[in-house]
Amino acid sequence: MNGKRSAGGSDVSAFDAPSVIAATHELKSPLALVRQLALTLDGDLSPEEVKKLALRIELTSERALRLVDDVTQAQRLEDGLFELEPINPIALCDEVANEISPLYAAHSRTIRTVRRRKPPLVVANRSLLRRVIMSFADNALHYAFDDQPVTLETHLVGDKIRISVRDRGPGVSARLQRSLGSTPALQRPSRRPASSGLGLYVASQFAEAMNGHVGVTRHRDGASFYIELNGSTQLSWL
Amino acid sequence: MGTRVLIVEDDAWQREHVAQLLTKHEFVVGESAHALEAIDQVDTFRPDVIVLDMMLPGVNGLTLLHELQSHADLAAIPVIVMSTRSDLSLAELEPYGVRVVLDKSTVQPEDIVAAVRKVV
Repeated sequence: MNGKRSAGGSDVSAFDAPSVIAATHELKSPLALVRQLALTLDGDLSPEEVKKLALRIELTSERALRLVDDVTQAQRLEDGLFELEPINPIALCDEVANEISPLYAAHSRTIRTVRRRKPPLVVANRSLLRRVIMSFADNALHYAFDDQPVTLETHLVGDKIRISVRDRGPGVSARLQRSLGSTPALQRPSRRPASSGLGLYVASQFAEAMNGHVGVTRHRDGASFYIELNGSTQLSWL
Repeated sequence: MGTRVLIVEDDAWQREHVAQLLTKHEFVVGESAHALEAIDQVDTFRPDVIVLDMMLPGVNGLTLLHELQSHADLAAIPVIVMSTRSDLSLAELEPYGVRVVLDKSTVQPEDIVAAVRKVV
């Protein structure tokens, strides 16, 4: 969504058609699930089943609301002054992991922060960085095998600090890659459905507002989505 | 022996929802969370019908359809696509063995059951 502005308000062209299509499509998945779960409530269910469905509806609605909040925030980036401050990324990752744990637990999956002895401090806006990590963690949930935890990791990359969300899920086997080779349109099967595009776009906008960028590293058994930001050297003793 | 339905869907709750619905209607249900698992399941579970989400991690639904079509013994398995994508048309997907396209955002439980009964 291009954040063009004119005097007196948002330019209507800020909402270009492809962005609206992407946003609406991505919101459809959780909303369609909420609807289907609600339809299930109509059946003959035990109190435990009703409770389970109600929890799923609640957690899925919260996912959809997070996405709406992120898209809204991305549209308002130009309006706001985002204070950048030194932040301990591991403590922030812990916060995100704690917040999203109920959703992971409800999917029989786990998420954890990889500890470091001397965590580097990152220059960021706490709220935006939190949203980026949350968005990556939310995305990773759907691509992780249930016996492999999603990990939140912090690495030094040159003079930058990389915070990544690593999932371990299905990749494309060499055997299948070979068998798919005959059809040009299918030679490069996507490793993520298009639905993760909006979250990544929003994350990239947030990263840019913090003088950073986002990226992805593909692994044989999954992917790491990351944000790279400037490190804070003057306060690294904290 | 009941009709065997393989559900290929990455969202666990969506998958469970469809599985419970079909089980209740006495179909024998198998489940795959992604396409690679589905390829194994097709060999071992031998489904009569596949209910497929097109947006899957790793290998997407279209690639899975292509893979099924490339094997003579699997090409005849009817596929029901269930997706939130409104740009999918049956005409486009028919050459890949798709017999019904259902929109997740409007589908009723009875539509899913009816679609499975229709294609077997």
